[in-house]
Amino acid sequence: MIKKYSRRLRVFALAAVLIITGSSLTACSSEEAAKEDITIGFVVHVIGNPFIQQIIDGAEMAAADLGVTIKVVGPAGAEGDAQLTAVQNMAASGVDGIATSVPSASMVNGLNEIIESGMPIVQFNGLGVGVNAPYVGEKSVASGRILGDMVLEKIGGPSAQGKVIVGNCFPGFPVLENRQKGVLESLAKAAGVKIVGPSDVKVDAAANFAAWQGLLAANADALAMVGLCAPDVESIGKVNKAANNTKAIGGGYDLTTGNLEALANGTAHISLGQTPFIQGYLPVYMLVDSIRNKIAINKPGFVDAGTEIVTATSVTEPFGLPALTFADLQAMALSKEKTRAYYEPVVSGYIKDWQSNLKPISEESS
Amino acid sequence: MSSVAKGSRKKRFKLPEETSVVVALIVLIGIIGALRPTFLKPTNLLNLGASYAITALLAGCIVFLLSMGEIDLSFGWILNLSAVLAGLAMIAGVPIWISVMLGIGAGTIMGALNGLLTVVMRLPLIIITLGTASVFQGISLISNKSGSVVPTDEKITGHLFFRALGGDIDSPVPIILIIVIVAFFILHLTLHKTRFGYRILAIGSNPEAARLAGIPTKKIKIQVCALMGAVSGVGGVLFLGFRGAVDPSTGGQLLLPVVAAAIIGGTPLSGGAGTVWGSLYGAMIVGAIGVGVVFIGINAVWGTLVTGLVILFAIGVDQIVRVRKKRVS
Repeated sequence: MIKKYSRRLRVFALAAVLIITGSSLTACSSEEAAKEDITIGFVVHVIGNPFIQQIIDGAEMAAADLGVTIKVVGPAGAEGDAQLTAVQNMAASGVDGIATSVPSASMVNGLNEIIESGMPIVQFNGLGVGVNAPYVGEKSVASGRILGDMVLEKIGGPSAQGKVIVGNCFPGFPVLENRQKGVLESLAKAAGVKIVGPSDVKVDAAANFAAWQGLLAANADALAMVGLCAPDVESIGKVNKAANNTKAIGGGYDLTTGNLEALANGTAHISLGQTPFIQGYLPVYMLVDSIRNKIAINKPGFVDAGTEIVTATSVTEPFGLPALTFADLQAMALSKEKTRAYYEPVVSGYIKDWQSNLKPISEESS
Repeated sequence: MSSVAKGSRKKRFKLPEETSVVVALIVLIGIIGALRPTFLKPTNLLNLGASYAITALLAGCIVFLLSMGEIDLSFGWILNLSAVLAGLAMIAGVPIWISVMLGIGAGTIMGALNGLLTVVMRLPLIIITLGTASVFQGISLISNKSGSVVPTDEKITGHLFFRALGGDIDSPVPIILIIVIVAFFILHLTLHKTRFGYRILAIGSNPEAARLAGIPTKKIKIQVCALMGAVSGVGGVLFLGFRGAVDPSTGGQLLLPVVAAAIIGGTPLSGGAGTVWGSLYGAMIVGAIGVGVVFIGINAVWGTLVTGLVILFAIGVDQIVRVRKKRVS
């Protein structure tokens, strides 16, 4: 009796799930039917992260400008194997080209197999050493040096004495390790600076805040807190705000609305942007251009996406872009249209001429 | 003799326990195939099967723990550390097959340690593995200096182990898939045809009754945990051979799909029952949903939602059945 009941329930539940799945798939497929010319797969390493969303926005704007279809996927948590599977699924689904971040070395062989089969691939944001495809991203070690130099300047230059806390939200992630290397290189110019960490401060926003809170509580006399990931500046700002007496300088990466708010209210001090618009737009542009004009892109190369340097009083943008006020930057973080309009000179210049801006891959970590 | 009595003697045809899951899988594949026919290409299905093979293997083994009323949160990091140790051993010049055995052995020890701690400390495995998961992850990070382990030497990458698993040897079916199917046969026979398996189910059904019946419950717990560790170790070395590298994050996200596959496959969280083959079909459903989302081109957020709905339904059904069982007893 129970067994019979149990089986009926399971059949009912599975039938319900299938109906939901089927209707979701069918409903969502209809909107894709309109554009059949070129389809680009865009695979990110995590979904639900504000910085990654800015990259996706850039990619979608490129697809709209170029009149192609874009499919965006990514695992809910950053994990290389799940992402490689998504890339393989994307290739099997018949897209014409794929842009993917490469957060893991275990993705390299699988990606090269896909490239060998004739599928054009462009890497962005996370570089896979050994992948036979161009990479769009920041100069990771150099940007770490910039951040380290700016923090050092704010804590007293080479004569500074005291602790600097360094946090890495994802130990082992190659780009973060490179940034860390650059930061530590710059901070090493001050013999009196003692580095606390680098500590694992986690990716999840709540865990990230708790980690920074704990680090500051244990090192209340720290001169500065330096993070390497998107959630850090916001967390450092909140931690600084909660600990009224601290004068610790806060520095980190990315221009999410939370990070900009922390800079605006003076609880954090420096954030470097990785021009997410370019990191999203350029790979799609490169793929479409290479497909339409039959340009081979099956070898490593590097296109610098630039570094933005933002403090509460200054906004320095790359590629000779017009000067921005801090308020402009905050407004852009909230508006795709304003972002697209601002980057028009880059789209019609630097991005259009991507082939002449393609450098040897060694320049990424120079 | 009356006709009623004759009828009761007739052996009723009974469909296998996994039938509903298989039907669901076929329908799901049918829906995706109807919308995107390229999905049904045999090479495509085989390659996709290979991608989800390790998830399926772990799901097949976690059925043992779920059948015993326990759950392990650390197997992803056991997989990671086993692969890291095997990879480092290979790079250090240890012969490949010995390195492979080292990885599997390390996994077995980690699993046995989980079992030993849960027996000695008299705590549920879920609590013990909450701690040991971080311990294994931490040792892995220290061992590989928070970087990826990538054997690059031609002598290593050209070895049969890497060529076979990496797809460099021609085979109509990916070799990793063949290994996992063989493993499923062994796991199925172990759970359903051996005294060890019956004891596991007995402990899961009623631990106190099992103990009073003379079943060495503590020993069995340690053995099952060691088995989970060994299979995670096998998963780790398979991963190393299949992908050619191990990252610090490898294995960290396996918990949800593996447990979901086992539950969707028909193994209740309440213990006392379990189906190894069901977990394979469950893993294929989880995989098919993920693949379907990509093939159809829906935003990943939808994929997460659909997977979540499947898990909620399965867990809900399990809970209803459990409550009913309690009422009846």
